[in-house]
Amino acid sequence: MALSERAILKSEVRWAIVVGSVVALILGAILFAAIAMHMNPPSNQEYADPKTLHLSPEFTEANLGTTVQPNGQIVARMIATQFEFVPNCILLPADRDVTLRITSPDVIHGLLITGTNVNTMVVPGYISQVHTRLTKTGDLLMPCHEYCGLGHSQMLATVRVVPPDQFRPDAQGRAACGNRG
Amino acid sequence: MVEPSYPADAHDFASDAEELERIDSAATEAPKGAVVVSAIAVAALLVGWLLLYFWIFIPRGTVG
Amino acid sequence: MATVAEPLPAAPRRRRKAGAAAELQTGRLVAAHMWLAFAAFGIAIILGVWQMWARSPVEAPYHTAANYFRSVTLHGVSMAYVLTTFFIMGFGYYVAETALKRPLPGLSVAWGAFIVGVAGVAMATLSILSGNASVLYTFYPPMTATPWFYIGLTLTVVASWVWCVLMLVAMRQWKAANRGKPVPLVMYATVANAVMWLWTTVGVAAELLFQVIPSAFGFNSTVDVGLSRTLFSWTLHPIVYFWLFPAYIAFYSMAPRAAGGRLYSDTMGRLAFVLLLLYSLPVGMHHLMMDPEQSNGFKFVQMFLTSLVTIPTLLTIFTITASFEVAGRMRGGRGLFGWVRTLPWDRPMVLATGLAFIMLFFGGGGGLINMSYGMNAMVHNTSWVTAHFHLIFGGTVVIMYFAIAYAIWPSLTGRHFEDLRPLRIQLWMWFVGMMVMTLPWHWTGLWGQWRRVAAFDYTDPLVQPWGPWVLVSLAGGIILALSGILFLYNLALLHRAGTPGAPRTIAYATAIHPPERVPASLNGFGLWNLLVALLMLIAYGYPIAQFFVDPPPQAMIHRLAQ
Repeated sequence: MALSERAILKSEVRWAIVVGSVVALILGAILFAAIAMHMNPPSNQEYADPKTLHLSPEFTEANLGTTVQPNGQIVARMIATQFEFVPNCILLPADRDVTLRITSPDVIHGLLITGTNVNTMVVPGYISQVHTRLTKTGDLLMPCHEYCGLGHSQMLATVRVVPPDQFRPDAQGRAACGNRG
Repeated sequence: MVEPSYPADAHDFASDAEELERIDSAATEAPKGAVVVSAIAVAALLVGWLLLYFWIFIPRGTVG
Repeated sequence: MATVAEPLPAAPRRRRKAGAAAELQTGRLVAAHMWLAFAAFGIAIILGVWQMWARSPVEAPYHTAANYFRSVTLHGVSMAYVLTTFFIMGFGYYVAETALKRPLPGLSVAWGAFIVGVAGVAMATLSILSGNASVLYTFYPPMTATPWFYIGLTLTVVASWVWCVLMLVAMRQWKAANRGKPVPLVMYATVANAVMWLWTTVGVAAELLFQVIPSAFGFNSTVDVGLSRTLFSWTLHPIVYFWLFPAYIAFYSMAPRAAGGRLYSDTMGRLAFVLLLLYSLPVGMHHLMMDPEQSNGFKFVQMFLTSLVTIPTLLTIFTITASFEVAGRMRGGRGLFGWVRTLPWDRPMVLATGLAFIMLFFGGGGGLINMSYGMNAMVHNTSWVTAHFHLIFGGTVVIMYFAIAYAIWPSLTGRHFEDLRPLRIQLWMWFVGMMVMTLPWHWTGLWGQWRRVAAFDYTDPLVQPWGPWVLVSLAGGIILALSGILFLYNLALLHRAGTPGAPRTIAYATAIHPPERVPASLNGFGLWNLLVALLMLIAYGYPIAQFFVDPPPQAMIHRLAQ
């Protein structure tokens, strides 16, 4: 009969090849984005002791927010803590490479910036770092997206993206949302 | 006659021989239909994935 | 070829009345497990609707953050741990007796495990209601609940381990009595799930035993968060496959027969279950794509292995569609698509399988996006993910739980359903409700609507456009709740009313070519256990060892209960 064991096995093997090719195609596209376009997960593996965070030079309150480093790199530093981001608004230029560095002194948090590819977990013990280039201007939301306690729903910050010519850091290289927020 | 929710007792065919005969007659075309239906589903899946990749993921820009 | 509907060999313990068919020896055991599962389900669907109402633009009663997170925790624990574990155990006992046609070894041990499991569920439920366990259903220290929450859930897992051992013993005894014969596919798959579950629980057991429970009791003041997240991820993916297995078991061993045909290929069935066992385990790190504690290298390795787990699912789709095609043609269907129309869609099992496949298409497609490495950033922790797992688990898996219950309930009660219409209406409502609820979640998730919050501020101009979509989802949730209630009613009714005379057993689908012999590798799990061990060593060896080689700073424990 036409549905012999051999025929059945053959149809299954053929199907497996089709399915395997589809999976290979998807893997190829992912690999291309990763290698050619630098679109990777944020995997920083850099330690920061949550118990002594207030003593660390990088994450003291005065050093938080957006800074243009002497080498021209734009870095925004934040602390995610129960139940707020410090600072709760950061100013960033569009179409420029920017780096976000965030850590937590207490529990696990997470963040995303709406309408962008920026997304990371914030795990106490580590500095989460995301490199990106924002393509749209305006105010975006940056909520905590990992349950961090009963006040979790109020943990929400703003990311103000301005055109590059309106991004004017002060003499120390610092830029803040200012009184416009 | 009550139709069982799952044909645990009642067979759809009078005998095994009849059932096998029916399978034989079905076999002239099977599994052409299944190939086409599954292929359409997988193709649609791939198209959907590529749409999100090119229309949303890539335009949102570099990240990592 | 073997006859399909062989009666059970006469091994009745008791007869209700002379002339009545012998009851299943495990009948009460199965019914007890399943009713506990469905009771938890009933509570959880009501909570689910309230949660969606709370997040919508419409004011909900009792809406405080404390109530919301208590509710989410109870919803998650009920659906993900109680419904699943007890349904799977009950179904496994049922399969062992009906497929092997032997009494279940250790019936009293199984009852003992059930009592331990019930005690665990009670302990966890009381902890949640007290408000001291509002940590959701994931175990992510440094936030910890009262230790009794974790101990309760551990007891439930211990009960499931007993089940695993009983499944293995049942298969071994059958093999000893039937040398050289292939284990029936339905039992082989059930044991595959038991073997997988034993591997799965290693990660969470280590996390609970060495990290979370000592922390919750206050024995430790700090904890390695990266390690605990990695150990939890070990469990996090295969646990979903543990829940999924009964659906696949029904696809292979019940749906083809319900459709009036036979299974297209028994070998592909075995292979699919083995591949699910192999590739569901070394892939959990795709839940940690956005985490800082693991490197891109291992994330990529596990993403690659994740992409392989799509293969058994896509093979299953083809095998079952082909089985349905043969069935449809046996009923007179012709042409490329004519067989679809001639299938007996009025039978709940056939209808549920069709609807499950449609939900699997959308849910699986969403999952494909989730696993795609950098692309995960687009959707991680948004309502896209909530939509994905509600479609796959709540949709594909749970609709098959309904279909399985409808298929086996006559053999538990001795009564046929008098009318299949309420069953079909219930399944259709579940499908429509699930689609209406989850499709808007995918959409708002893409635009950044985040998960796990008690409320949204709809006065914010960026949030405001989500409002109408959230209301559409809520409507879907209400349809789901009504469907769930109808399901419980349909089952409960069969205990009191229905047409007597239903046989006290069930027949599983035979293959077009029932195997006379199968290779030893596809009749046991020795080889596959070795391969799992090897894959786990590759995928998780260094990612776990790194926390001991170069320990990261620990975090202070945050206890909810003092």
